[in-house]
Amino acid sequence: MQQTIVEDIDQVAEDVVSLNLRGAGGPLAPWEPGAHIDVALPNWLTRQYSLCGDPADRESYRVAVRYDRLSRGGSEYIHRFLRRGRPLEVSPPRNHFPLLPAPEYLFLAGGIGITPILPMLRAATAAGIPASLVYLGQSVETMPFADALRSSYGDRVRIVATRQQGRPDLAALAAALNPGALVYACGPGPMLTAAEAAFPAGRLHAERFRPVPRSFAPATAFEAVCARSGRTVRVAPDESLLDALNHAGHRVASGCREGVCGSCELTVVEGDPEHRDDIGAPAGRMYACVSRALTPQLVLDL
Amino acid sequence: MTTRTSTRPRRVPPAEVRARLGEPEPRTKAKILDRIDDYFRLFIAHSPFLTLATADAAGRADCSPRGDYPGFVKVLDEHTLAIPDRPGNKIADSFRNLAENDGIGLLFLVPGLRETLRVNGRAYPTDEPDVLARMQTEAREPELALVVEVAEAYFHCGRALVRSRLWDPASQALAGELPSAGEIAVGQLGLDIDPKMFERGLEDGYRQLY
Repeated sequence: MQQTIVEDIDQVAEDVVSLNLRGAGGPLAPWEPGAHIDVALPNWLTRQYSLCGDPADRESYRVAVRYDRLSRGGSEYIHRFLRRGRPLEVSPPRNHFPLLPAPEYLFLAGGIGITPILPMLRAATAAGIPASLVYLGQSVETMPFADALRSSYGDRVRIVATRQQGRPDLAALAAALNPGALVYACGPGPMLTAAEAAFPAGRLHAERFRPVPRSFAPATAFEAVCARSGRTVRVAPDESLLDALNHAGHRVASGCREGVCGSCELTVVEGDPEHRDDIGAPAGRMYACVSRALTPQLVLDL
Repeated sequence: MTTRTSTRPRRVPPAEVRARLGEPEPRTKAKILDRIDDYFRLFIAHSPFLTLATADAAGRADCSPRGDYPGFVKVLDEHTLAIPDRPGNKIADSFRNLAENDGIGLLFLVPGLRETLRVNGRAYPTDEPDVLARMQTEAREPELALVVEVAEAYFHCGRALVRSRLWDPASQALAGELPSAGEIAVGQLGLDIDPKMFERGLEDGYRQLY
């Protein structure tokens, strides 16, 4: 973890604040567009926020947080109780949403989903790669950074206030897309579902705030063999691999516990994991909070 | 050992109690609010523990602990709180009492702080999805929550916590003077098992918190 200090809390839209977190002990760990950090809040909750500042700034991280009416305690704490000067521990940045090389980019952001897109748009533009942004929100007042985007990028940014203008025609955007262009989308579930229907799967990269509601076959018990410690941990059907490992004395980190943040990534040595996360685990990796096993046994690098 | 003293201690009549204690300072009464203001909200947001007192229609009383991460009690608005019902012993004394008598008394604690927060009001169980959604922990929602309609709320001065040295780390040595939970259970229930076995069961239960 890295120690930071809350340097600024600014209202950047209706119900959205931006936090500037200054490193307390020298430069902060580097990051690339699409990365997020875990923020350990004073109320013991850990929350994940995309970095929306400038990767060249090694002195501080910037995140933006929308107040959730159904807050479980993260955004409510930040909006109501967090004060300037408060020390906050944050994780090193992790990136499940990296910007892959392409001759052209189309960015699609919904509301607070603008946060990982901001540094992507900046990086693409700085590299001279054609890039445009379609930015959706209920009204302009609820959309963070809308003015700054308009003034920095002009007509490469299209701001759509859906309450007045309705939803943009994603199929038309897809039809107009240059071959080879990649689409990066971040926003609420319904927007991403629409994007998945409109754009070819191979060209769309999406990041979700919350897991897609899905149903799985009934969970069964399996064994996790920890290769380094030599211990075998039985995982009961009503228990997660993460909980079983931690109960057995391993210290596996965790964050969202719903398969979106990646804090609990493990290396699989042998056996087939049943991936239930929304990140898309790379080969040989799995997320212990939600994923289980297709084989009776998994051998883990633990 | 006797189970009851042979002569009951003298009962002091209510009027005499008041005469002996004196009247509270006007300021003490003035600090009682009928709502959750910003200071109370801040306190609740940092409180991981409370005690919850109820009584049935016949006046049979009960007090039980509730705890989770700080702010586990949600302030729905300045007159309403919601307390998640996390898995417990399933005796459900509080729910049974509230069905007959909806009066409730809460005492919130913040570790390290001597002052406590008291909230009194009326309560009922709910399964309102928007309330339960705010209580999701470890990807699980409670089955039920308790809605508390606040009648009075006030800070209680810290004398009891000062005298009890409750937050003094040295006070934790007291725990070492007691037998283990397993030894107590085996003794009270007259069981013929190894107390360690009982404790293992207890520890397993403590791992399934949600």
